[in-house]
Amino acid sequence: MNERGISLSTHSTKILTRREFLSALYGWGFYVAIFISFLVSSLILRNFLQGIREDNIFISSYPLNFPLFVSMVIISLYLVIVSAVSISREKEQGTLEVLFYGPVSSSSFLLGKYFTDMLLYLIIAGFFSVYFFGVSLITNLGFTVALGKAIFVSIFIASCVISFGLFISSLTGKVRSSIVWLIGILIGFLVIWFFQNMFRGIPSEALSSWLIYVQRTLNVIYYFVNWVSPFSYLSRGMESIGVGSMRPFLLNILYSVVYTVVFLTASIYILKAKGVRA
Amino acid sequence: MTKIIQTKNLTKEYDGFRAVDNLNLNIDAGEIYGFLGPNGAGKTTTILMLLGILKPTQGEVYLMEEPLSKNPLSLKKKIGVVSETQHLYKEMTAGEYLRFFAELYRVKNKEKRIDELLTAVDLLDVKNKKLDAFSRGMQQKLGFARALLHEPELLLLDEPVSGLDPAGIKQVRDLIEKENRKGKTIFISSHLLSEVEKLCKKVAIINKGRLLAEDTMQNLRKKLTDFIQIEIELVEIKKEIMDTLNSFNFVKEIQQENKILTLKVTTDKDHRAEISAAIARNGGVVLGINIREMSLEEAFVTITQKNISLLASTEEAAQ
Repeated sequence: MNERGISLSTHSTKILTRREFLSALYGWGFYVAIFISFLVSSLILRNFLQGIREDNIFISSYPLNFPLFVSMVIISLYLVIVSAVSISREKEQGTLEVLFYGPVSSSSFLLGKYFTDMLLYLIIAGFFSVYFFGVSLITNLGFTVALGKAIFVSIFIASCVISFGLFISSLTGKVRSSIVWLIGILIGFLVIWFFQNMFRGIPSEALSSWLIYVQRTLNVIYYFVNWVSPFSYLSRGMESIGVGSMRPFLLNILYSVVYTVVFLTASIYILKAKGVRA
Repeated sequence: MTKIIQTKNLTKEYDGFRAVDNLNLNIDAGEIYGFLGPNGAGKTTTILMLLGILKPTQGEVYLMEEPLSKNPLSLKKKIGVVSETQHLYKEMTAGEYLRFFAELYRVKNKEKRIDELLTAVDLLDVKNKKLDAFSRGMQQKLGFARALLHEPELLLLDEPVSGLDPAGIKQVRDLIEKENRKGKTIFISSHLLSEVEKLCKKVAIINKGRLLAEDTMQNLRKKLTDFIQIEIELVEIKKEIMDTLNSFNFVKEIQQENKILTLKVTTDKDHRAEISAAIARNGGVVLGINIREMSLEEAFVTITQKNISLLASTEEAAQ
């Protein structure tokens, strides 16, 4: 692509991002997701404070990290659904084809979707910061460096979640298929996680030969899922803060960036190959 | 003359089925070009390839004499497209919708241009109305406004008058003619052959993915039939007139109904002057002469039903 093409592509991405972003801000889904996440984290904090009141003691290095983690899970679910239907919805409605009549390419379109969702998450991260800072002032639970790091790493985790959603969306041509695929894959991840954990607790000596084979196979699949599932990056990211060392924290950020690049690139190629029609 | 659209051996295959087969189109700048074919002929596939939305299995598309594959975005910025269905963002108002596309195409003085176009398509009153309340005809006209926003060099119209009432069709036809007068090239794919006939100077007929004809309407008629019918209204029909007309070699048949003569004559040249002179010589008075030519619809049916290719003769004629 020559420079003019790149400039057109960048411009299209900017315009598409702005339109999508304003459309999300005028919708109710974004606010519902924020409300639910704050409601749940407030309930968790209320339980913490009640425990302190009753027992007069509360032992935790990072007391606000758990409510943040739960909020992140809720927001991630919102982001993955929004991104998973974003391309397929435009394909189904035919609006994607109309965009492609003009100076819009697969990459500019996909990046527009990605940046929109990232902007939405940055707003949410801003709310998280203000909310937890306020909570720390009121409750004396302390706005620690670890909480700051958790909010920072959550941006990269959101990036993984959004890329994963866009990848699912690029594979499908209808909103319903995107949702079915997304739920199917997430349930698949959960099932693998559940069985792998179940087998992990059983010593190999207690298993028959074919169950050992199942255990090994599950371990391999689980290892793969650990790299593919964006939610693994969420738990790993939060764990990396708990460790206290910078290395796992930075490594997790690096892995998240690589994950995002790989999934976005794959989505662009899939969109190109499958075309703009549902 | 600049070739606005040129395709070289354009082919699209789906699982071994050739939807478009070695298509060679040549469209000059400033033309109104009709692209015709029955359902499933490969018209939409061709249009999607012209827009770079579908990748050809073989061949190349050139727009404004540049290969589309090399610089698709800047070439597509010079095209305006109106499709059969508009696929609008229903949550937007007409103004918001056009503003979004104006920004996408970097239109200067966008508010002025939006108002200009909404006025041209008679939608200025509903500028702030949500698009989900728009009728099909209104949507189609808004699609036109969107396609013209950025003053494209080429307008690609796929069934542009679909869903429009007669007044809307006239409005769109006027708009097309106006844009053409400004120098824009118009490519129309439509089933409404009467509309195509009114607008297009040159037509291409495609069937089963293959181009069967590409020529001016006049040349197509000549190639398809050896005769035309001339209707002559006279004050009085005398025997001498009938005898003289019957003596002409180019007159193959004469029918008489009241004071109207219908002559079947050869298409080798325009015989009207010769005929009226002969009538006058024999003391006849001509009240009117009408040529009844083969309509585009008749030409279309003849070509597509018999699947006859007129391309070889076109090339010979060009040589």
